[in-house]
Amino acid sequence: MNRINLQILLGTIMVLATSVVVLFYGLNEEKRMAEAEEAQRGRAIEQGAALFEAQCSRCHGTQGTGIPGLCPPLNDRYFFDQRMKDVGWSGTLEDYIVATVSSGRLASTRPQLYPGQGTPAMPAFSDHFGGPLREDQIRTIAAFITNWSETAIAIEVPPTPSGPVVGTDITKELPEGDPAAGEALATTLGCVACHIAAPTGPVWLAKDGEPGVGSHAATRITQPDYTGKATTPEQYLFESIVNPNIFVVSGFASGVMPQSYANSLTDQDMANLIAYLLTLK
Amino acid sequence: MLKSLNLQDMRQKAYQALDQRARAITAGLGLNELRALMRGEPPTEKPNPRYKVHTTSFLFHIRPRYYEAGSTILTHTFRLGFFTSFFFFVELFTGLILMIYYTPSPEKAYESILNLLNNVPFGQMLRDIHRLGAEAMVIFTTLHMLRTFLTGSYKKERSFTWLTGVVLLGITMFLSFSGYLLPWDQLAYWAVTVGTSMAEAAPLFGNEINLLLRGAPDIAANGLLRFYLLHVVLLPLAAILVISIHYYKVSREHGISLPAYMEEGNVPPEVKKAARQRIDFIPDLLTTEVFLVSLGILLLVLGVTVFNYHAPLESVANPQVTPLDTKAPWYFWWLQGMLKLGDKILMGVILPTIVVLVLVGLPYIDRNPHRSLYKRPIAVALGVLSVLILVMLSYMGLPQYGIEMEPAQRIIQDMSPQEGAGPLQRLPFEELQLGSYQVNVNEPINMCPNLDFGCPAFEAFFRLYSDRVNQAIRKGDLPAETQAVVVIEDWQKDLRKITLRIVWPGEDGKSKSYERIVYLHANRGME
Repeated sequence: MNRINLQILLGTIMVLATSVVVLFYGLNEEKRMAEAEEAQRGRAIEQGAALFEAQCSRCHGTQGTGIPGLCPPLNDRYFFDQRMKDVGWSGTLEDYIVATVSSGRLASTRPQLYPGQGTPAMPAFSDHFGGPLREDQIRTIAAFITNWSETAIAIEVPPTPSGPVVGTDITKELPEGDPAAGEALATTLGCVACHIAAPTGPVWLAKDGEPGVGSHAATRITQPDYTGKATTPEQYLFESIVNPNIFVVSGFASGVMPQSYANSLTDQDMANLIAYLLTLK
Repeated sequence: MLKSLNLQDMRQKAYQALDQRARAITAGLGLNELRALMRGEPPTEKPNPRYKVHTTSFLFHIRPRYYEAGSTILTHTFRLGFFTSFFFFVELFTGLILMIYYTPSPEKAYESILNLLNNVPFGQMLRDIHRLGAEAMVIFTTLHMLRTFLTGSYKKERSFTWLTGVVLLGITMFLSFSGYLLPWDQLAYWAVTVGTSMAEAAPLFGNEINLLLRGAPDIAANGLLRFYLLHVVLLPLAAILVISIHYYKVSREHGISLPAYMEEGNVPPEVKKAARQRIDFIPDLLTTEVFLVSLGILLLVLGVTVFNYHAPLESVANPQVTPLDTKAPWYFWWLQGMLKLGDKILMGVILPTIVVLVLVGLPYIDRNPHRSLYKRPIAVALGVLSVLILVMLSYMGLPQYGIEMEPAQRIIQDMSPQEGAGPLQRLPFEELQLGSYQVNVNEPINMCPNLDFGCPAFEAFFRLYSDRVNQAIRKGDLPAETQAVVVIEDWQKDLRKITLRIVWPGEDGKSKSYERIVYLHANRGME
């Protein structure tokens, strides 16, 4: 066999081999493309998780459980089952999230329950409207949020106060407080999201030699930079809840905490909360 | 009537008709001749019809009629130039198809790549082959040049061919580099930012070059469009032009050089005569070329299937976030290495310009008429030395070299890089068992008693992490009180949050820490 014959033979074999490999590769294409799409969605959820943590969790909670009196829960059955019908949205839930995140909300749709942070109730996040995020980043956040759809449970909205509300007068005489009831209330109100779980607000629990909020209540009013009007630890806590911006602990941002508690808590609620907080030395 | 149905006659007529068709199609080769060609037999007619093709057919006209036997020895050329042009055609072909699916705008570019991977049958294969071909083209161009240098084939009448070759090396590198940006991912964006910022170092007009390339102070829509047009129009056209000149010199003017010993060595005259013997293009060289093309295609296809080469794709470009360990494409590492050695203008502009000038002027600088390795020891020594320096500079160009990073940051970056996949990303999802694992407190043994088969991959990962931390403690980079943890939390359905955190007491008594939070989804796929 001379060189030309050999080359023709080997060349033919190689062309056949290439065809076989391409054929088998092609048989798997449908599956590969489906997997690539799944993987891409998985990665979008990963990126969405990081962005949600950085941009959304402060108001909507790290696990999307919302903060009563501030922002609605997203990891919530109502959000996935009923919300779009209530607002008359005709597109997909993902589009609804993208639209809301992109342009924000000038006014809350449920001002009694979730007034948001004032005006706008929710800022615009799209870089087209002066926000920090690109369109594709907002899509990943939507992918992350919709990934809760199967596991979301119904989050109870705390009942509106029965009886007169507590008001903003911090010298008001309060009934006897129950620390256990106060602790339960702090959980349902969502205080723990920022003050215990994530250090968005001043932490309540004692840690690394820093005393808890119960001790701070007594010392903060004596600090030279204190700008509030309280004279006792009880009044300090009262004031911080109903008028959080009068004095903000250094290192934390003003205007983050909801300012609606004066109109949503009763005297007894306030007394319970204060009693609970004073136990956290 | 019956008489005219002569079978013999009909066969002859049919044969003649077919023969005529064949001659028309092959520009002069009859059926008999084709048969002889396939069997490797000598020409059947006189004058040799195999030469006629070279005058009647354009595609054969631009090919040589023959090579000299000595120049076709495999170990003389290794077919490097042939494969370089083969890869160029592969790039043209795959590139044209890829263009159908690509949109050169920052909003759409990355999406169009994802679409190519998710929705286009054979889309990933095309992209992988295009990328592999590009890398191979750079490698083969460089090797081709090195071979030409070592065999001394750039001398005398081939000086100008060498010069066009140097131009082609530049075009090849810039073709590859301009294609780098197009996927618009973090890798692309920052590699090109690093690359173009080198141009900025040029005195007087550096800033203008940079502006011209990027279309704005930072790479954005304009820069992407410019790189795209460079990649698909200007540079390919330039490449085709210079390749034509380069190839014309080889095929029409002076042929491929003979091995030095056959030309100027002390060998018997019959060896010299045999070396000059002609090997015809048709059929010998043509068969070999078709054979090599099928070999090349097979290797490329095997590379992207069996050997699992995949073109990288990181997360979408983000001008606000510079990932750690940003680096230029590998064929520019040497330049990055040089930039680390000294002044930006001296190392980034003046020295590279000198290198290019030396390459261009090599045939005119090196006046030694001999081609044999042994008769030009200085040139060969300098050549080998430059290759070694190039390799060393490339190593120094790596981000791991000479850039100080906090030891804790280095460890965490190596375990889980900001972009691309590290040991953490390669763990199977089910082995990520919830919990908090602390180095030197938890042993990397039997870490997942709940799993039937344990979690060997996670244990290996944790052992690696522990070793890195302990190594740093032994070397004194981290104090002995250092705490390193891996925390795995269940974050969502099919989503885990993994925190890598290293806490150590700083010199001022305050505790310092470095942490990275990574979210991993079950379907993310492995890289």
